Amino acid sequence: MNRDPYAIALNSALTEIKRAYPDIKNSFIFTKSGTIITGDQETDETTMNNILESFENLKEKAKAIGNLKGFRITGKNGKLTLSNIKDMYLLLATSKNADKSHIYSITHVIIPTILKTLETFAPTHLQVTPPKKLVVDTLNRFFAGDSVQIDTEVLRDLTKNSDPRARVKAALTGEQNTQESINQVHIETFGGNVAVCKVKEISDQKLKGKNMIRIPEKLCKSLEINKGDLVKVKPAL
Amino acid sequence: MLAKNSQTDDTENDIEKMQEKLQEIKDQEGIIGYILRGPKSASIDLKDPTKIIDYAVLSSTAFDAGQNMTEALQMGEVDTILVESEETKLLSMNINNHRLSIFMEKSVDHNKLYKNLK
Repeated sequence: MNRDPYAIALNSALTEIKRAYPDIKNSFIFTKSGTIITGDQETDETTMNNILESFENLKEKAKAIGNLKGFRITGKNGKLTLSNIKDMYLLLATSKNADKSHIYSITHVIIPTILKTLETFAPTHLQVTPPKKLVVDTLNRFFAGDSVQIDTEVLRDLTKNSDPRARVKAALTGEQNTQESINQVHIETFGGNVAVCKVKEISDQKLKGKNMIRIPEKLCKSLEINKGDLVKVKPAL
Repeated sequence: MLAKNSQTDDTENDIEKMQEKLQEIKDQEGIIGYILRGPKSASIDLKDPTKIIDYAVLSSTAFDAGQNMTEALQMGEVDTILVESEETKLLSMNINNHRLSIFMEKSVDHNKLYKNLK
């Protein structure tokens, strides 16, 4: 989970909201690209990731009716409300009899106001260049070298600047919001192993556009991953 | 045995009643269609037949997501699921061992539909 000041501020906000509204059992916030920003202390990361995975799948299929704006479940023992707030989603799990007006005020007034305030005041807003989840392919050629290979499109996405000042500048000037091309990426496996290595564009035409990362076999072994596994990739700062 | 037969008849009657209600609902303004899936059969009525597969996949995914999330958060069995996009929404629910998904425009009062069907 993200530990920058922005995420910490949101975490405090969720904690205070929970104190004020005891009907809220679980809450967490994640970005549209699937990065968890923060969550309350009762909801462990595995639970959040499970929910996120189901949600991402639903979001994909929901394209049949347009872009997903909200999702609600009424269960026998509680309610779940997932709301789209700007470029994020807020999940609230409440008791079954939670006051609808309270949920509405949290999702439509309190959290949007906090986000707006944070964007105004926090100079280091969201240093989250959301990691990309890519499928591993092993590079086992003799001259594979130490670099990993990633699709051009994915590399372009990763270079999008997450600095808010750059975003505002881009919005005002109409310039592209991108930073210098990246030379190194940070790879994290779902088992928690991490590596930083040089990156190149995928050279094999047949493998382009497949959301893939080609990793030298030697590095795969040290990261304890195999072909077909998913890894999280972000630019190395 | 007699009791079991009577129970089966009751369920069949309930399904028939629900299908009658669905026939009325589908003609209401803003209703795009519905998918009703039972253990042995399914009925689909959508205004745009080209969307049958996409809507069927979405309906099934909504039920799966609903089940996974309620399990993860210990919220008990799913009663209703509402998926909303900018202009369309989907109301899904379990009725008499059948999975029902109704697709509608955003302006439709889904609570009214739910009360009518439950």
